[in-house]
Amino acid sequence: MDIAFASETLMSLLSALPLTLELAVTAIALGSVVALALALARLSGILVLDWFARAYVFVFRGTPLLVQIFLIYYGLSQFAAVRHSIFWPILREPYWCAVLALMLNTAAYASEIIRGGLLSVPHGQVEAARACGMPRFMIFRRIVMPLAIRQALPGYGNEMISMVKATSLASIITLMEITGVAARIISESYRVIEVFVVAGAIYLAINFLLTRLIAFIEYRLTPHQRQPLAIHGELKGEAH
Amino acid sequence: MNIPAKSTSPVAIGLRDLHKRFGPLEVLKGISLDASEGEVISILGSSGSGKSTLLRCINMLEVPDSGTIAVAGETIRLRTASSGKSRPADQRQVDRIRSELGMVFQSFNLWSHKTVLENVIEAPIHVLKRPRSEAIEEAEALLGKVGIADKRNHYPAHLSGGQQQRAAIARALAMRPKAMLFDEPTSALDPELVGEVLRVMRGLAEEGRTMLVVTHEMGFARDVSSRVIFLHKGAIEEEGAPHEVFTNSKSERFRQFISK
Repeated sequence: MDIAFASETLMSLLSALPLTLELAVTAIALGSVVALALALARLSGILVLDWFARAYVFVFRGTPLLVQIFLIYYGLSQFAAVRHSIFWPILREPYWCAVLALMLNTAAYASEIIRGGLLSVPHGQVEAARACGMPRFMIFRRIVMPLAIRQALPGYGNEMISMVKATSLASIITLMEITGVAARIISESYRVIEVFVVAGAIYLAINFLLTRLIAFIEYRLTPHQRQPLAIHGELKGEAH
Repeated sequence: MNIPAKSTSPVAIGLRDLHKRFGPLEVLKGISLDASEGEVISILGSSGSGKSTLLRCINMLEVPDSGTIAVAGETIRLRTASSGKSRPADQRQVDRIRSELGMVFQSFNLWSHKTVLENVIEAPIHVLKRPRSEAIEEAEALLGKVGIADKRNHYPAHLSGGQQQRAAIARALAMRPKAMLFDEPTSALDPELVGEVLRVMRGLAEEGRTMLVVTHEMGFARDVSSRVIFLHKGAIEEEGAPHEVFTNSKSERFRQFISK
């Protein structure tokens, strides 16, 4: 393995890191909003919404992400109505097509994770909130959502990691994120091992940091699942 | 069996002809009851007699099919939904009345992601819109009163059942309720923890608070309450002052119930 070439490759690939992160963060952030809406639709008890959400999850979870990217990037432009719509300035950009596909895809998976979290909230705690006179939305905001997030976080962490890796598919529609740049370097240098080992290491590093971040948030959100404060305080006192 | 109202204090909770059915099962078969201010009413009955449902109807955790509920003279307005079921006509009225009633549950139902103090200040700050500092001050006083001031920064999972239930009582008191509803507050507790909760409840009764208590604690019903109501199959089978009904009840069922 040529160290000089590998470090040169590393620098080139790192220049593509912002685009990879941007794709992942945008898709995860927008996807979580859609996911929450889908989860609420599933639990709304309104038949039309429930079935829409079921059908959505079925389609987007049941078909490959790559196929979805192709359909959105190459497929939508076939329709004159799309080309003449106000969405065309967005839909003709490969970047936004990738974000859209990643977002719609992650929303399907995440909606099931969030739904599981919402279902795990003990009914008694909701009832206690009602008995205090809290209005519905306040109960959702102050009691249900905080409890559901704590329950859903480990599963959601998995989904976020998947999304970071899934951004590599955006290279197929001309986006020069990490995998896109890696493919270009290989086509120029024919040194597959060095380039993909470095590319893989970058994804690994991102996901390492992401995993630590999720673990930290989980730790901060769940003091009630650890030892009581008194014991905790003593241990802390000894360590410092 | 009806006892004419002896006291002249205003009615805190008035129930008229409450009916409630779950599917084919008629749980409440026309219950009327007036709780005057300062009264402590123990509601007794075997399981399935409808006593918890009766209590839960008062703050609309269960919506009665017919009949009226009035809290401090204000009748909760009901409507019939398109499904044929009875529903509150004005949810905001229900929310407001709920904030005036303190409820204590059998399984405590403290919010597990909040500390004891956070549990107590949550509704005063967000529902009653009290200033945070004032709510904290009052909460700390209440936690002292129920004897768990030192646990205020603990999470419910780190407390014993008795401590959790006392925290739940403090949470209910923090709303400065017009009446307190207790739904079998000691039934989920280990026997050695029952006493500490009953002592707190006895203290509240001595303060002159209006309390409706669904309970299996015969000692509490006999010694603390001002009136005992015995439900059987969704109807009031026996009612009266504890010293009367516990010594010479005309109801064979009630005599059997208390002899168990």
